[in-house]
This record gives sequence, C-alpha cells and structure tokens, in this order.
Amino acid sequence: MNTELILKHGLTLDEYEVINNYLKRELTMEELGIFSAMWNEHCCYKTSKKWLKKLPTSNDIVIQGPGENAGIIDVQDDDAIAFKIESHNHPSYIEPFNGSATGVGGILRDIFTMGARPIATLDSIRFGDLSNFKTKYLVNGVVKGIGHYGNCIGIPNIGGECEFDHSYNYNNLVNAMAIGHVKKDSIFYSEPKTIGGLIVYIGSKTGKDGIHGASMASDVFSEDDEDSKRPSVQVGDPFMEKLLMEGCLELMNAKLIESMQDMGAAGITSSSVEMASKGNLGVEINLDKIPLREPLTPYEILLSESQERMLAVILEENNEKVKNILKKWEIDYEVIGKVTDTKKVIFKSKDKIVVNLPVDIIVDLAPEYDRPFNLPLKRKVQNYDFSELNLKICLDNILKNINYSHKSWVYDQYDSTVMGDTIFEPGGSSGVVKIHNSKKAIGATTDCSPLYIRINPEKGMAHTVLESYRNLISSNIKPMAITNNLNFASPLDQNIMGELVLSISGLKKTAEYFNTPIVSGNVSLYNQTNEEPIKPTPVIGCVGLNENYKTLVPSCFKSENDKIFMNGQMLEKKNSPYFLQDHLNIKQINQFNDLVNEDFELEKIHQKFIFNMFKKELIQSANDISRGGVIYSLIKMIKSKLGFSIKTQNELDLFVECLAGYILVVNQQNCQNFTKEANIANIKLIELGIVKKEIIEINQSKLNFNSIYNSYMNNFADKINN
Amino acid sequence: MRAKILIRLKKQILEPQGKNIEESLNNLGFDKCSNIRQGKLIELDLPENLEDRDSYIKDICNKLLVNSIIEEYEVL
Amino acid sequence: MSLSSAVITFPGSNCDRDAQTYLEILTNQDTHKIWHKDVLLPKVDLLIIPGGFSFGDYLRSGAMAAKSPIIDDVLKHAERGGYIIGICNGFQILTEIGLLDGALNRNVKLKFLAKNCFIKKNHENNFNKKISQDQCLSIPVAHNEGSYYNSEEGLKLLQDNEQISFLYCDEEGNTTDSSNLNGSLNHIAGITNKKKNVLGLMPHPERAFQDFHTSQDGQLILESLLG
Repeated sequence: MNTELILKHGLTLDEYEVINNYLKRELTMEELGIFSAMWNEHCCYKTSKKWLKKLPTSNDIVIQGPGENAGIIDVQDDDAIAFKIESHNHPSYIEPFNGSATGVGGILRDIFTMGARPIATLDSIRFGDLSNFKTKYLVNGVVKGIGHYGNCIGIPNIGGECEFDHSYNYNNLVNAMAIGHVKKDSIFYSEPKTIGGLIVYIGSKTGKDGIHGASMASDVFSEDDEDSKRPSVQVGDPFMEKLLMEGCLELMNAKLIESMQDMGAAGITSSSVEMASKGNLGVEINLDKIPLREPLTPYEILLSESQERMLAVILEENNEKVKNILKKWEIDYEVIGKVTDTKKVIFKSKDKIVVNLPVDIIVDLAPEYDRPFNLPLKRKVQNYDFSELNLKICLDNILKNINYSHKSWVYDQYDSTVMGDTIFEPGGSSGVVKIHNSKKAIGATTDCSPLYIRINPEKGMAHTVLESYRNLISSNIKPMAITNNLNFASPLDQNIMGELVLSISGLKKTAEYFNTPIVSGNVSLYNQTNEEPIKPTPVIGCVGLNENYKTLVPSCFKSENDKIFMNGQMLEKKNSPYFLQDHLNIKQINQFNDLVNEDFELEKIHQKFIFNMFKKELIQSANDISRGGVIYSLIKMIKSKLGFSIKTQNELDLFVECLAGYILVVNQQNCQNFTKEANIANIKLIELGIVKKEIIEINQSKLNFNSIYNSYMNNFADKINN
Repeated sequence: MRAKILIRLKKQILEPQGKNIEESLNNLGFDKCSNIRQGKLIELDLPENLEDRDSYIKDICNKLLVNSIIEEYEVL
Repeated sequence: MSLSSAVITFPGSNCDRDAQTYLEILTNQDTHKIWHKDVLLPKVDLLIIPGGFSFGDYLRSGAMAAKSPIIDDVLKHAERGGYIIGICNGFQILTEIGLLDGALNRNVKLKFLAKNCFIKKNHENNFNKKISQDQCLSIPVAHNEGSYYNSEEGLKLLQDNEQISFLYCDEEGNTTDSSNLNGSLNHIAGITNKKKNVLGLMPHPERAFQDFHTSQDGQLILESLLG
C-alpha cells in the first residue's frame, strides 16, 4: 500500500508495519479505514492509556468503571447513576452550532445505551479572548447548539462552567456531561452473549456525515484549513434522538435487548469492533443492509458518523416484538448481521468480503505509547508590588472581567427545569436534581483551573478536584465519583506530555485519598493550532449524593441580619495565581510562584465540620471560595436584593484564593452554638459580617449596591452583544 | 414536476429574524441592505400530469404548510 | 371535587411525564396516558396537552401535532365542555388546531428563553379563580416560540369576550417592556377560548408545585379547577 495513503489515514509507518507483520497480506481500503478510525487517539487512547491505567476506578459503590459507554455508581436502595463527560472540541470550532449540539447528542446516547434515563446534563465550555475575531460567533453558536439539542430532547441542563482565555483563541473547548438514572437490575452492557444473535441497526439512516471525524478530532489544526474540513461535521437531529431514546428504553424495559452500543465516533466500525471484543466473539455484518440516506461506498459506510444510530444484539425470537416497538416510534430498523464465534470482524458487501480482521489485532495490538515528557522546571521565588492595588480597583477588575460575570446569558438558553425534578438550577455552587419518586438528590459540578495546572500540573489538578468537592459540599452533597475530560495540546511536545502525566497523577492522589473513583472519561489531545497550545484543561465532572433533598443547603442569602463567617485558609497574594493574573495582569507562566501544597488533611477536617453543621441545621446557606476570593463568593450569594456588610483587616485579602475555603451563613440565634461547635472541632472561623438588604458595605464604607449588582448581572450580555 | 412554495410571515407581523440579519449585515459593512425578510422554501415533487395542480398546492398549503394567521405564501 | 384527567403524548413531547406528575399529585388519582395515534379519549374532566417539541417543531411548532388522529376527539371533548390546558408546545398546538385564537411567533430576542417569570391574572375564569387579582405567580418558562400574536380585530374579540387569562408582569405586578420577556402582544401569557373551557399558556405550572421547586404557585391553576 502506498505510503501517502497510510499517512493520510493518520497511521504511522511503524503502526502499519505492525499490522502488516500480523496479517501478512495487503489491507483493503476498508480495512485501512478501520485502522485509521480505531487506532487514533480518540478511540484507542494510545498516548494516555499508560497513565490512565493508574487511576483509581473502583470501590464499593462502583458498578461500572471506565470501558463501557458510561460509568455507573450505586446510590443505595435499587438506584444507580450513570454518568460521563465527553468533548466535542474540534467540531465545535469548525461549526459551533452543530458541533456542540451533536456533542450533547453523543453523550446522551452514552447514557441511555446503558438502560439509564438521562436526568441532567452539564457543560464546560472555554473560548478565546473576547477581542478575538471569532469568539463571539463561537459563543453564540456553541450555546445555541447545546441548548437546542438538550431543550428539544427535554433533559435539564443543571450547571457548568464558561471561561475565556487567550489560549483558546484557535481551539475552543466544548465538553458535555450527562447523568442518567437506572435501576440496578436494569443496566445494559455492550457485551453480546449469544452466538447467532441478530445484530440490528436502529435509528437514523447513514449518510456522509463526519467521515473521518474521529481522526479529525486528533489532528493538529492549521489556521487555513477550517473551510476544507467543514463537510466533515455531523448534523444532529434531536427529535430523532428523542424517539430513539424512548424506543430504546422501551425495548430495554421489555428486556428485548441483549446488548447495545452507540454508534459514536467512527460509527459502525467502532461499535461493532467494541461489541465483538467485549464478548470475545465475532461479528459478521452485511453492509448492503445498512439503511442509507444517499448511495455510499462500503468504505464510507464504515466510517460515517451519522448521528442518532444504535447497534444492538437481540435474540431471533424477539425480532417481531422489537420491530413493532420501533415501528411505534417511527424509527428505522434493520437486521444487518449476526454474532459469530470466529473472533473476527467481517463486513460484506455485494457478496464480497471487504473486511476480514481478527478482533485481537484491532483491539489488543492497538498502539500504546510511552511518550517522553518533561517535568516542570523548579520555579524561582517571585515578589510583586501590590502597592497600586486597592479595594476599588480590584472590585472593578472583577466586575469588568467576563470570567466573573453572572452567566445567565448562557444558561437562560438552556431548559433547566424540564422533567420537573430540578432542585438547584445553574448559577449556584452545584446543580441538583431529584431522583424521580425518591427523596434522593443527585448533585453535580464541572470544574477546572487551567492556570493552576499550567503552573504546576500535579498540585493544580489536586486543587481542581478539591474545588469540585467544595462545590458539592457547600450544597450538603457528598462527593461520590468522578468523570474526567482531559483536554490538552499536542503530547508530542514533551512539556505538554508532562502536563498530561502529572495532572493524571494529581487526580490519582486526590481521588484515592477522598475515595472518589474515576468511573468514566474522555481524552482530547492536539488542541493546538500552529504554535499556540491551549492551557492544560483536564475538566472534572464530580457527582454526589444527598439522601434527603430537604436537607440541601442553598448558596444564596436567605434573610437579613444573618451572620456571615468564613473558614479555611486564605492564601497569600503572591501565592494566589488568579489574583496575580486578574489584578496584576501577570501572564507569563514563569512569573508565577509555585502553587502552595494542597492540604488533604485540612480539607477533610473542614468537610467533616461542615457536614456536621448541616446535620445540626445550623447553617442557612453556604458557598465555596475559589477564583475571586471571599468578595466574589459573597457577590454570587446576593439574592432578592440581600447584600452584605463586612469588615476585614486587609481589604486585598478579600480577593485571594483559599484552601478549604467556604462562606457559611448562620442565623443570629444559632451563632453561639455554631461558634461553640467550631471551637470543639478546632476550626478557625473568621466572622466577616452580616447579610443586609440592598447594601454592600466593606469596613463601613458603603458601595453602590445597584451598580455593583447590575454590572455583575449584565456584564456578560453587554460584552457578548457588542 | 418540482413545485416550490415560498412561505413568509405576513408583512404586518414583526419579524425579528429579518431585522437581526439586517443588523449583522450592516455591522459587516453591507449598509445598502434594508427591509430584509426571511422565509422558508418548501420543494416537492408532483406528477407531471396532475390536474388542478394549483388547487392541489393551495390545499396542502391551507391544510398544513401555512398558518394563515401569521403567514402568507407564494408558488414560485 | 375530584378531577379525572388525561395527558396526550406526541412524538417529541417532553413534558408529558411532568404533566402527569402534576395531575396525579394534585388530583390524587391516576392520569390516563394517551398516544397521539389513539382515536378516542377516555371520559375525563381535564385534558393536558403537554410541552415539548412535538414532531421536532419542524415546519411550525405544533403544526404537525395538530393533524394527529387523536385531535378529532380533542375537538369533541372541547365541544362537550371538557377542560383542556395546553402548556407551552400544547398552547402552540391548540392555536394550530384552531381551538384558541392567534399564533405564537419566535421570541423577539430570537433566543430560547428558560427562566423564572412572573404572571398575573387578567380576566377571571375557572382556571384562575383561586388567584387573587393582585397576586403575582412565579412560574418558569422555557420556549423558543412564545411571542403571542393576533390581528387587531382578533385581539379586540379576546378583550371583549374576556378571554385573556394571564399576563406577563414583574415581581411587583407591573407589565413593562422588560417583563414581557418574549415580546408577546399586550403581554399575553395565556388565553382561553370563548367558552372558557380551553386554556393555553406558555409558562409551565407543572414545574412549580412541589416543595423542592423554586415556587409552588403552579398549584393555583389546578386548584382553581378543583374548586
């Protein structure tokens, strides 16, 4: 086979050599296509696998760890929760609306493929500087796309994050997370069991969408090829997905399915190979049977990424029943092949075998690289001049910086109350939904602090995970498990590879210490255009449980004159990266001091104390402290015109980041009990002040409540619309 | 034979789409565009020898394709 | 009073379960689930046509659902004087059927709008009689096409026949430009037919009635019917 063709398919010559040595024959074009799809980063994790293996993925609540369509945890009684996060970064840069919409569609399929009904989605989106020519267009398109798909299918979006940073100028990030509920005895897996079982195709017809999309997702962009890549982006049809979801869940409820797999990236190729590999069996599929939207060659059929399609294995005797249910939902359905015992993947077309490959070679021989990496350099201690800064300037910096603005412009476009079980909508410290017909509430958050991770990947990752815990804990939700989306630039750069390796190590340490296993995830590499790499952005999706929703704690002020406390340990200004970036305008990474060490013991003591205070019903509302410090947490807590009056010794300290930092609001009559409990637990509290109507007051100087609140609320829309 | 039906909001009805497109074009420097209206075009095949083609099309428009309270149509 | 009820599901409906929960909890009895291809409704007091994106909202919101087999019997139910509430997409479907006057256009800001809004009662009827004249209900909206439109004559008829059931307002009950969040004509959030047994409204009362919801004001609409 000619070298150019091999390289064009994203395989290295070494990789091709491995295949050739095993098969001892020429590959067909279709087979080359299969390797191209299966051996790229997106499908086989060749760069990250070595490191991902080290993550903790099981404990007594994990029902399904990584390796299936989604991870599943036990949330007591007969309830289980399935969840996963996935990226659609490159497609969303090329075509923001469809790219992000199909990202949501894909992650929802991952959830209901396992028999779980989706109950919530979250997102994590990152864009370049607002001044960048394309940013506003991307924000508009991405938000519209995420909203369109989720709204139409009717799954509430309960939270997420949205950040702007110049490193995403040419590579925006769109990560979508979905959560589903399933009864423990009704979980479905992708492993087929019956030789002779029918392989059925369910859903939309196959077209040319996204051919080579999965390999596209692993390419380094160069600026001028946006247009040439456009046809490759898939178009989603959320209406079809809604029908597909209802149809599949009905089939599974009726126990008519043996196994199911979503045709995601690399379509029928990866889903059929995956099935054969899971069952340690073979598959034989007739490509002429695939429902087509337009005439396609076998090669195109194999690589099409048309959306809203499923592959399932059913027993022959159930065929009629399956057909009838899908007919009711008006979903296309076709028997396209059968499960065999050959341990081979065979695709036929026009009575000719076009693919005949042992499953082993595709899966087990898939490359796994141990890429060289650099450890970060030791940092010199830096000193800074803070003399130009004061309260007014810093407050102004926050109110003008879109990263701190209220994000309702984004989530007012997402239906967050459909399904009728939403308890905390986006905008609080975590999103919360109730399990239908149960008292249990599921909380979730997505988090990442890319600046921290660039400064020190290992510690930065630990801080990110701790922050996601604090988001949940401040709502009285116990963090249970994690899904992660590792977004990085090119791992061929040894510094970037170092960021990948060390951040996984930070994740491992933290997740192990706090017993929150990683049950699912996704890796997105090569997020760089020319020489501009993104900041390392391993996004954490953390899911937690509250056993009785009536004990949930809101993150907004409740009534006037409540006392405001904080706990945790404020960082010094010189060690507070976001403070330095957002107020001193420090940009060069080598001009930051190293991160302070994370303190697991300290976090744990504070977690315990806070849960205990919630249990004793001593706390009215709570919020965590992160980027933007105490003052920003307080501004976020303003509701129904309830502001605050606080005192502090050093006003600039209100803007720094914290370890184990929380704002705790306590009713006056509970204060004595509360401070007593803190003493016993050896928790150092700082009494900041009180909740006050229509007032923001710091050290007795009154600031303009309306102007601060309005610019916090409106800045985002003003900036995006202009 | 291919039939093409153009459906638009009636003139008296506020059409924010058109206004929005106009603003965007103006922002891009195309300031000679005005009175933009957005519609939808529906194409369909009909048998060549269909009698009463016009009334047939009128029928589909009235029954489903067009909401006469807010929309008007034109057969192209 | 006891109230029997049914909810219709169209392909793409996504608030059918929410409507069912709303009915079952507040009426304390089971609700009939009806598929759009059914041709007969059971004998019930109240029918809810739920929100969602029936038939993907393709062509026009509600247009294709309005041609479903069940619709003939929905018309008969209305004729008999049976109650119907169409919520969101259900409101759009009712206008497409012709049971309610006017139409729902794209939101004036051209964006899907999902947030808590305030509405107040305008003309009194059986759907809002438990609500006092100065009360503001806090209820979520979630729609892309909710901007109510009618011709001048049509609007006058609604006014004269006292069919305008709910108006968008602010927290204090004022109807202002900014409280009219989707650009509806005369701030209209919900209307009835002439006989006042069919209500269409854009906000979702079925998302505002349980103790964990942001508001419980949605109860008042069903409670008005329950007498």
